[in-house]
Amino acid sequence: MAVPHLRGTVGDVTVLDVLDEINDLLDADDDSTVNTSMRLPSALRDAAALAVEHLGVAPSTTNLTVGALRSALETAVMAAALEAHYREHPDARPLLAEIAFALAAQDGSPLADRPDIIERAAADVVARHPAADADDVLLWAEAQQAVTP
Amino acid sequence: MRAIVLDNEAVQAFTDPAHRKHRTVVAHLAAVVVRRRKGAPVTAVVPTAVRVEAGWDRSDPRAAAVNRFRVTDIALDTVAADAAAQIVTRTGVSVADAHVGAVPRALVDDEVVVLTSDPKDMARASAPKPITTVRI
Repeated sequence: MAVPHLRGTVGDVTVLDVLDEINDLLDADDDSTVNTSMRLPSALRDAAALAVEHLGVAPSTTNLTVGALRSALETAVMAAALEAHYREHPDARPLLAEIAFALAAQDGSPLADRPDIIERAAADVVARHPAADADDVLLWAEAQQAVTP
Repeated sequence: MRAIVLDNEAVQAFTDPAHRKHRTVVAHLAAVVVRRRKGAPVTAVVPTAVRVEAGWDRSDPRAAAVNRFRVTDIALDTVAADAAAQIVTRTGVSVADAHVGAVPRALVDDEVVVLTSDPKDMARASAPKPITTVRI
């Protein structure tokens, strides 16, 4: 039957189209604004106003909201783009240890010179915490090093 | 803000799934996502001169997949061109490498991490601005 294949293809194409459209919108040079109908909890709005006024987290609550929303959308698109890439090229999916190694290198951590420790930490931490991420691996590796004589 | 900068070979590896370093560069981009999910201000950037040298044409339909991961252009504008020209004169590196070297001058408040096959050249090009180089 062709239907499952078609569904999968159509589904993936739709996701890619959506990602492209979101990217286009995020990159649009558009200063127009809209009075959104999104309902914001009033307590959250008040907390944001206080943070802007007294903590200097952003020039305005609008800036704070827009910045947070943009950042969340960009991160979601990046993650979804990688997942789409992995579906097309399964061999491109890095291991948890490889991502942790990349993080260590970006951080300039001494662990970047010890892939053996990172690989062991990745195996150990995933055995106990299957949802662990690369930062968890680095933290685990550093902690293990700290207690190892 | 931390900016992860792709040099020519990093772009070549990123845009070609058959490249032997493709997964390495993808791991670095996945690392960007890990940190961003925790609220860290990290972004991936590419100097436009690097895109030219690597043949990464964003308008080419074949580039659609790599365009989706938001690697932001750092334009070779007037200021960057002057800085890159000084770097070429001083070090003799390629135009693309000089543009990479000019990035820390453009992103003065950011921590710059360069993914590169030639850390020494990149450190030389960006000097005296401090950068972190990561060999791919």
